[in-house]
Amino acid sequence: MSVPQYRKAAALALVAGLGLSLTACSTKSDDDGGTDAGGKVTITVDCQPVGAQKELLANWNADVAEFQKQNPDITIKSVSVGEQCNNPPDFTARLAGGTMTDVFYGYMTDLQQVLDSGQAMDITQYATKDTIPTWESVDPALKEVFTEEGKLYAVPVKNYSMGLVYNKALFKKAGLDTENPPKTWAEVRAAAKKISALGGGIAGYSEYSAGNTGGWHFTAMTYSQGGKILSEDGKKADFNTAQGKQVLQNLKDMRYGDNSMGSRQLLQWGDLLTNAGAGKVGMFIGAPDATQAIVSQFQGKYEDWAMGPMPGQDGPAKGTLGGGEGYFFKKDLTPEQVKAGLKWIAYQKLTPGKGQLDYVRAKPQNYPVGLPQPLLFTNGSEAQKQELELRKANANVDTANFKVFEDNPVPIVGEPRNAQAIYAVLDSAMSGVLTNPNANIDSLLKTAETKVNQLQAAGS
Amino acid sequence: MSRTLISQAQLRRGRGKYLYWTLLAVVVVGFTLVFLGPLYWMVTGALKSGQEIAQTPPTLWPRDPQTQNYVDAWNNLDLAKLMFNTFYYAAGAVFFQLVFDTAAAYALSKLRPAFGNVILGLMLATLMIPAMVLIVPQYVTAIDLPIIHVNLLDSPWAIWLPLVANAFNIFLLKRFFDSIPEDLIAAAQVDGASPLRTLWSIILPMSRPILGVVSIFAVTAVWKDFLWPKLVMPSPETRTLSVGIYAFSGGTPQNVVIAASVIAAIPTVIIFLLFQRNIMSGLTTGSLKG
Amino acid sequence: MAIMTAPSAVTTTKAPPATVSKRGRKLRDNLTGHAFLIGAVVCFALFMWYPMIRGIVMSFQRTRRGETTWVGWDNYTRIIADPSFWIAWKNTFIFTIMALVVGYVLPFFVAILLNEFRHAKGYLRILVYLPVMLPPASALFLFKYYAYDPSDAGLFNAILKFLHLPTSEWMQSPTMTIPAMVIASTWMNMGSAVLIYLASLQNIPGELYEAAELDGAGIWRRIWSVTIPQTRLILALLAMLQIVATMQLFIEPLILANGAGTQDSATSVAYLIYQHGFFQNDLNGAAALGVIMLIVLAAFSAVYVRLTTKQD
Repeated sequence: MSVPQYRKAAALALVAGLGLSLTACSTKSDDDGGTDAGGKVTITVDCQPVGAQKELLANWNADVAEFQKQNPDITIKSVSVGEQCNNPPDFTARLAGGTMTDVFYGYMTDLQQVLDSGQAMDITQYATKDTIPTWESVDPALKEVFTEEGKLYAVPVKNYSMGLVYNKALFKKAGLDTENPPKTWAEVRAAAKKISALGGGIAGYSEYSAGNTGGWHFTAMTYSQGGKILSEDGKKADFNTAQGKQVLQNLKDMRYGDNSMGSRQLLQWGDLLTNAGAGKVGMFIGAPDATQAIVSQFQGKYEDWAMGPMPGQDGPAKGTLGGGEGYFFKKDLTPEQVKAGLKWIAYQKLTPGKGQLDYVRAKPQNYPVGLPQPLLFTNGSEAQKQELELRKANANVDTANFKVFEDNPVPIVGEPRNAQAIYAVLDSAMSGVLTNPNANIDSLLKTAETKVNQLQAAGS
Repeated sequence: MSRTLISQAQLRRGRGKYLYWTLLAVVVVGFTLVFLGPLYWMVTGALKSGQEIAQTPPTLWPRDPQTQNYVDAWNNLDLAKLMFNTFYYAAGAVFFQLVFDTAAAYALSKLRPAFGNVILGLMLATLMIPAMVLIVPQYVTAIDLPIIHVNLLDSPWAIWLPLVANAFNIFLLKRFFDSIPEDLIAAAQVDGASPLRTLWSIILPMSRPILGVVSIFAVTAVWKDFLWPKLVMPSPETRTLSVGIYAFSGGTPQNVVIAASVIAAIPTVIIFLLFQRNIMSGLTTGSLKG
Repeated sequence: MAIMTAPSAVTTTKAPPATVSKRGRKLRDNLTGHAFLIGAVVCFALFMWYPMIRGIVMSFQRTRRGETTWVGWDNYTRIIADPSFWIAWKNTFIFTIMALVVGYVLPFFVAILLNEFRHAKGYLRILVYLPVMLPPASALFLFKYYAYDPSDAGLFNAILKFLHLPTSEWMQSPTMTIPAMVIASTWMNMGSAVLIYLASLQNIPGELYEAAELDGAGIWRRIWSVTIPQTRLILALLAMLQIVATMQLFIEPLILANGAGTQDSATSVAYLIYQHGFFQNDLNGAAALGVIMLIVLAAFSAVYVRLTTKQD
């Protein structure tokens, strides 16, 4: 290279670098209005299954293709946001950055946060029978969860309530009745003791205490005691009570009194399920779909797992935690985009026999049909009957495994306002009681109460 | 070999010799256990089943090697994509740091424009500010750049540009340039060379070692960084290896996570083994002397 | 700053030869100079100087439902009243000090040791650097899943048991949390420091040791009076970098302890910033905590500069 060329190259590099740094950042301008000249509407939708969930992903893609065939003027762009569709810090980051998709997945507990970010759209006028044929059948209680001041912000697509998930194989080995799971915490404790006596690092009962899941389960157990997390007006913590203390006392007794909870603690979602998949967990509380995760992601077997109702302190539980998911709509969408999004959700999530409710397709796959969920439709409604029939006809898991759970319904209590932040605080109380033999339950709850009160004061 | 702390003669004599070989043996065995041992545990652990991993006492060699864990890790995690991203970000980081930081250090050292010292002072003032302190405002800035209102999320620029703002590199480079005799540059100027040409054909050829050091630091920075890429690369397609493996860990059996970690380390280990000598000599001559 | 106060390299700054049109030339030189600077300056402005101001501004504001209001010291009082606030500082300081004692001193002696060997040099050097090759998340998962498993199936506990020593619950034990993080962090990071020390040791002229030995100085004496003074600059620099790096302790608690550990035993200031900003949806509070951290570090560096300049 001659000298002038040298110089030219260097200058080019400099200028190119500079110019690029100032302009080329704008490569990702995503907002094209969504509607092109030909009247075609494009929407982006997240929570596409990840590559690891091969069959789910294939189902999703088939649904998109079929939907677009039926609605030639709508284009669906799917985005996968990871293993868990809503991992709280990532979700917050997307909200803060405004990088959610047009139609985005969220938990029922996310409404406040989504509203706070100023990113949500009021879809009350669009969510009707015209866009969602089964809308009238959708449980009004679920719509209410996504409603504030009379305005609807999301469409519910899944709903669950928690119960006691147990490993039948371990129950059998420990000489326990596999058809008759424990119904009170005292029975859970006794069963846990027997199971952990099998040795080999098996935990009779396992519990979360990290990654917000500890707080989530504390809430569920407090509900089972008849307790509450927040006061009526949602401004103060209300778990530093006899019920809240009983929850921690039960855990402490099992962990250190009986040593029946295994030595691995500080577990979060995947950790517990990994252990469960490896056959090292006798019981834990969870929703029916926990069994699905154990099988499809954590190498477990369906026939091992069954479910009973949420245990109570002295009798049936006074309440159990219910939760669920929905799809929100990003503000500034055109009416056509909102309608297109609603139609897609209606097709993929809320039509018996289609999308997630296509049980014929799901039956031969490695995903369960016959779990007592998603509980989307009002009891006795047309859609509910259809869905139930299809589910029964195509069940690929033994529905008997969930019979005890279904036959003993427990009143469902929703998650507290600002739930994820509260759960993060309560993790600390859970980890305290599970890792410190000398933990002081009163002071654990006192600290958590202080923090939650601050949170709620700051949040409103 | 030049003289070091202990003279060679001393090491060759009776007791010294004995001590030397004992110590060497102890260190070689010890280091192998400490540094290679965990890696062995990692490679074989990823071959064990979930049940075997939870077993007491742990087995030294997997009884029933599950190569499927490695296959799952490669496929489910899309490791190829994550590796590509990481190397792409690292290459860009090296390029932009070399171009902008060298130019700036050259200007501050040799061209010395008006207010140069003020600018240098402002840059050096950031030396003590760890990334964590500014993470929130930096993040808010990256979401919506002032004036031009561009969102950098999921764009490699969100990694490259902040890394250019590296006072330590500019300081290293400037210090090196300062030690290049002014006469050389004056001579070039008399010959009518422009500042750019002076930089290109006189300064840079002399500065190879320090440029090597800056490149090594740039690569290490991208490799080691975690929270920033986690925040600015929220999509699975744009994640780095470290962030991808972490994100993946939540919903995956532990052995598969470890298998992914093993695979992720292979290319870097190979690169290091290949360039080991260059890296070492770069650090040695790269003006890092006391 | 250590480096700035150290005797600097050759600075033969002669005035450039005077030419005909002084003013025109001066202007042109300035323009070229700034043209060379612009890239770096823009990046500094965007990602350092502006965010610093923005952080301070944000810490006095509150954004809710897209509306931003001034709230005075509210964010600060809220952050400081958080029961985790002081614990996080305590943890961060303990970690920084332990990491300094272990992670800073150890590599120096490892480097001195390696520098003495005439055999297996390359092998040992590669060994020490191997962990640096792992993505940080991978190295930490290795510790979390295998080494620190609290049951007897864990690697460390199996070894301890084999040696008939008491086992530990590692990350689950409030007293072991921080030491365990220091061990993992040192293991995965010390390679870089060792290489840098090795490089600077090789630049020490052998005659200095020769002379010291002739004066009757033993090994420790020679390290003290030759090795350390000769590598002083790099030692000071790495101390600085190490402290700044460890103050940002984040990924270790995040992965090893799932964030907070047991009852905040692992919570660090950086993790608290993350928790407030991205779990509790409180970017303003997180910004306030960032400003507090900035002030602490500024005070620290002022003391540091004062100390190092006094020595010279």
